[in-house]
Amino acid sequence: MRRLHDVWKRYVPTKFIHILDIPMGNLSLGSKYLENEFLKLKNALEKYTSTPIKEEDIKNAIDIYNISRLLYNQLNSLRMEDPPLITAGRLMEITSDFFKIEPDVWNEKTRKLIKEIKSETTKAEQKKNPRILLSGSPLHEIEFIKFIEGIGLNLVYEDLCTGSKFFDLNIKESNNLIFSLSEAYLTRTPCARMMQIEERAKQIINNSKKFKADGVIHHSLKFCDTYLYDVPALKKILGEHEIPVLFIESDGGLGDVNQLRTRVEAFSEMIKN
Amino acid sequence: MVSHNILKKYFEQLETGLKNKLESKVTARRKFVYEIARIGSRIFENDWSIAWTTVFVPYEILNSMSVSGMFVEFFGAMLAGTGMSSKYLNLSESKGFSTDSCSYHRTIIGAAMDGLLPEPDVLIGASIPCNGGVKALKRIGEIFDKDVFILNIPIEVTPDAIDYLTDQYKEMIKYVENETGRKLDYDKLKKTIKYNNQARGYLIEANNLCKNVPCPANSNDLKNFIIYVLLQGTEESVEVAKLFRDEFKFRVENGLTGLSEEKFRLMWIQNRIQFKTDILDILEEKFGANIVIDELNHIWWEPMDESQPLKSLANRMITHPIVGPVERRLEVITQLAQEYKIDGAVNPAHWGCRQTAGARVLFKDALQKIGIPLIHLDVDCVDQRNYAPGQIMTRLEAFLEMLSNY
Repeated sequence: MRRLHDVWKRYVPTKFIHILDIPMGNLSLGSKYLENEFLKLKNALEKYTSTPIKEEDIKNAIDIYNISRLLYNQLNSLRMEDPPLITAGRLMEITSDFFKIEPDVWNEKTRKLIKEIKSETTKAEQKKNPRILLSGSPLHEIEFIKFIEGIGLNLVYEDLCTGSKFFDLNIKESNNLIFSLSEAYLTRTPCARMMQIEERAKQIINNSKKFKADGVIHHSLKFCDTYLYDVPALKKILGEHEIPVLFIESDGGLGDVNQLRTRVEAFSEMIKN
Repeated sequence: MVSHNILKKYFEQLETGLKNKLESKVTARRKFVYEIARIGSRIFENDWSIAWTTVFVPYEILNSMSVSGMFVEFFGAMLAGTGMSSKYLNLSESKGFSTDSCSYHRTIIGAAMDGLLPEPDVLIGASIPCNGGVKALKRIGEIFDKDVFILNIPIEVTPDAIDYLTDQYKEMIKYVENETGRKLDYDKLKKTIKYNNQARGYLIEANNLCKNVPCPANSNDLKNFIIYVLLQGTEESVEVAKLFRDEFKFRVENGLTGLSEEKFRLMWIQNRIQFKTDILDILEEKFGANIVIDELNHIWWEPMDESQPLKSLANRMITHPIVGPVERRLEVITQLAQEYKIDGAVNPAHWGCRQTAGARVLFKDALQKIGIPLIHLDVDCVDQRNYAPGQIMTRLEAFLEMLSNY
């Protein structure tokens, strides 16, 4: 990521670039350090936009984002039904929107959508297929999600930084909100980069149970060390909990689609049997 | 499964062999490798505890606590040099480790799986240079049912960042004390800083002597000198540094040169190729091409303050050119290219290394600006299985031919 920052800065004309150094390891020292990093980011943004960011702005933003988290979780919980009341592909489109539009607009749209889905007479969008939890590197390709669903698997949870994990954040109320934010980001469900595989595996196991997943697909982007190095250890831990795992590696797109199809279909067959 | 007794024997034999050679003639290189072999041997001694680490951890602190540190990349390189890496790469890959990850790390994971590594008392990983190293250490720790202490190296040089890393070093000391029962001798730690400053002075002199044209050293004299970090803060580190300085000084004063006829002066970026290969010999003998500076041999830090050892060590780490945005590294590479009057630079672009691969185009750009050509070899420095020496040599030959017309 640091090298991406370097290359981006050199070759892609961009008005605002800021590198945020997120610590791993010791929490008490780390949260103080991250607080400083957030303050530096705040200062940089203030300078760039020539607009001061007040404490109440941060409070309001946290409140709005907390509503988004609540709504996402409501939407996500519709997938606890069997068959799920919303497809992963559709949910990912909604999640993807979150990064493109104002959060309060998104909140309003999502609130309406939840009502609509709950009132739909034909509730199920999917058949009763094997239920899968998807974990791994960030994924931006909705086509990839739809492809897996197209094979006859119901994706019921995305343990991804671009999926459910993004909305999984608990910010404590305090008179130092920047510190609360830093603590929240360091104590949230860890991604592979945070080096806490036991905690990561525990969350995958808990969510597999909660969402009644029949198996886990662990996807890693090519060359993504943080996820690639976790694969053998994660497979072992999940195996000890009798959770079937399929590991797939891709560049996020569907370039090697036939090979991928064969592997996912075989995994699906295995789960059905 | 093998026993780590094999490793013990290897280091003992290496140490004895070099000791005998040193008795007949002392050379800086011989003394250097001998001291490294001694560190290898002492991990099996009761007077020392064992730390498996990544490369950038403060060995001065570990040495002051009688903890013998070994960094995983050194071990991967050593196994490649002894022709054992293929076996361990096959083993780790068979357990699901990706061939796209760094082979230094996959090799040592395989070695740990096979029982070659003695059980560590502590494991310490730093976020610089890469996450892959920390991950590899985590997997090794799991084999021994031990967790890894993680040092987060801040990427900006600020007083707060130095304090933050200093505090982490304090936590690290507590962790090592708890795990090994060995207390830090603060006076000993201060002494390591004194040794470090002395050695630093000699190394700067030795490096400066290599700026002479022709260079007093050949491509192998300071090869893999990064492993010198294992000696840092010891009396032996000063002896080794002084020997290199004396040797190069003697050569310069007596008109002795690293190569009989130095036609091309090269800079090597990051690590060397670790398995046995004759490409450097061919470059030297056939083309008169000499590696006069390795990027990683540059002494970047200021003299350290003996009264504030932890803060000084933190400052040295945070100011390392490989930390933070690439500009710092580019600045050093450019400076070295000019000071050592190089004709060209070689980047092995080690497969699986996000640091060299990620910044490769920026290295080329920076050197092009000062008229220095760079070649990316795209070679795996540890994994010999796919090595195509003919292809690499052809590319290097073409590169040197181009340099001769430059």
